[in-house]
Amino acid sequence: MKPVLLSVFICVCLWPAYGAVDYTKFSHSTPKHKAACNTCHKIPTKNWTKVSAFPDVVDFPDHDACVSCHRAQFFKGARPPICSVCHLKTSPKDDARYEFRKAASTLQFAIEFPHDRHQDVIALRRASASRPGFLLAHPPAPPQNFNNCTICHSQAALVSKPSAAGWIDSYVPPPATFKAAPVDHSSCFNCHWKSQEPIATNCNGCHKLAATPSVPPNVPTRISLKFQHEGGGEKKQHVAECTSCHINITKSATLRGLKPDVPITACTECHNKDGLRQDLNNELTALDKNRAFTCVYCHTSNIGSLDAPVSHFLIAQRPPRKRSDIK
Amino acid sequence: MVALLALPLAIGHSQNQAQQAVLHLRVRVKANDSAPLRGLARKRFFLIHGSLEQNRALIEAIEQQPLTTRDCYYQRNGASAALIGWLKDGDCESIYCREVDQEFVVGPKAVPEFAASFAASEKEFGNAATALKWMPTNVQPNLRDGFYRNRRDALDALLKQAQTTSGAPIQAVMTDRNGTAFFTDLGPGIYVLSNLVPAELGQTLATWNCEVQIKPDDLATEKPFLISNRKDRLVKCVAVEKPLPTCQ
Repeated sequence: MKPVLLSVFICVCLWPAYGAVDYTKFSHSTPKHKAACNTCHKIPTKNWTKVSAFPDVVDFPDHDACVSCHRAQFFKGARPPICSVCHLKTSPKDDARYEFRKAASTLQFAIEFPHDRHQDVIALRRASASRPGFLLAHPPAPPQNFNNCTICHSQAALVSKPSAAGWIDSYVPPPATFKAAPVDHSSCFNCHWKSQEPIATNCNGCHKLAATPSVPPNVPTRISLKFQHEGGGEKKQHVAECTSCHINITKSATLRGLKPDVPITACTECHNKDGLRQDLNNELTALDKNRAFTCVYCHTSNIGSLDAPVSHFLIAQRPPRKRSDIK
Repeated sequence: MVALLALPLAIGHSQNQAQQAVLHLRVRVKANDSAPLRGLARKRFFLIHGSLEQNRALIEAIEQQPLTTRDCYYQRNGASAALIGWLKDGDCESIYCREVDQEFVVGPKAVPEFAASFAASEKEFGNAATALKWMPTNVQPNLRDGFYRNRRDALDALLKQAQTTSGAPIQAVMTDRNGTAFFTDLGPGIYVLSNLVPAELGQTLATWNCEVQIKPDDLATEKPFLISNRKDRLVKCVAVEKPLPTCQ
């Protein structure tokens, strides 16, 4: 009988640790949390005029969104764990809340944004500066601020933060490297506030519950980290119509799973041209001499130490080789 | 150099060779005989699996579709001359096509529909900056993007038919400002290149339906596949043009 009693004793003692729900964590995946969004979220929230330039969802739901089911947890002890979902301190005397959304939280939703539909309607006025018969990847000078993709993808204002492991090769990409992406509703609600579906109250039109929560990367995934969108010398030769280099973008309804789409010729029109520059040739020549050579002109070493793609050899009119083939 | 324009930067050694051909499309048009040849910007083109013969029913549906021109649509829906002119100036199908500047909501160049929506937005959102940016939210749907939605409905119906007939996904790309576009990751075979919904070129509606042979080694296409509404020895496909229908 003694072993049985011991087992019962252990189960009873450990039940709170293993069987209890962790009320400090809120998940939209919980079946009872999958009701219509406006059951809890008010659009816009009452405080929008104080913290936002436009009507928006900028605060957590009110208590009644939780208490209808969680009354027991609300009044459990002096410091109910459930309060910490929204509140900085679990105390009835302090109602301060985290900034909405909690910066440290993982993303429970994925954004569904049909790029192709938006490309069909956004701007692209015919540029008068285009040269008839112009075939190269880069447009003629002077550089222009093309009014199409830049509606959402303007020049990034902030320098990206490194990942937990730090910057590869200690290379810190300057601000000119990346384009920005929308981080709030301002780029959406100016058309989709009402009447144009998905409208602001139809959260599910854009926000799809993800199978697993994710943590957004600090830095966009980039094969050629040293390429700067706003670069290209004094003439800013890199400032071009986005689709001049991103040749797959207009065919895609979603960018999820889209392969890198910048052809090497978008670069070599200038960077591997007789009488101009030989950046690709120089590195392939160095690779010919030393199979351990790391390509660093465009890449950091995590990419530059891999086999060069076939396209790089072909554009330089060289037979494709793998590092293992080089003596 | 242009010869290898379509080599994707990140093609790995293991990528399926059968699905990586590229069609480099170039669209050059003349609005009329005296106009210069120019790239046709911001127009969608589609690549449909199969030959013209195999897609005959689809081609007939494309040719027979009833179409309203942009000007006729907006006239019929009571748009002001200023709005019709604003849309025409930017070659826009809807008001989303380009940003509405301050001068189009107040002052001598104001578009009445924009001015009214701006006033309603100012009242609703409480500040002029948001009201200007969010002005489209108060424009009547039929004047906002009704023409685009009509076209989209026609396009969706044709795409559905094309997909059913060909039994394969339809590829779509949009031309850039030079009239250039790339179809990538293509398997070898015969395709129909089409714009499905005619493009307005000056006083005509232009439709392209051409057969294109894609080979596995079309990665290194020496020259772009040039299409136009004018015959030329380099032009691989000439549009069928019809006069713009009269407004009813």
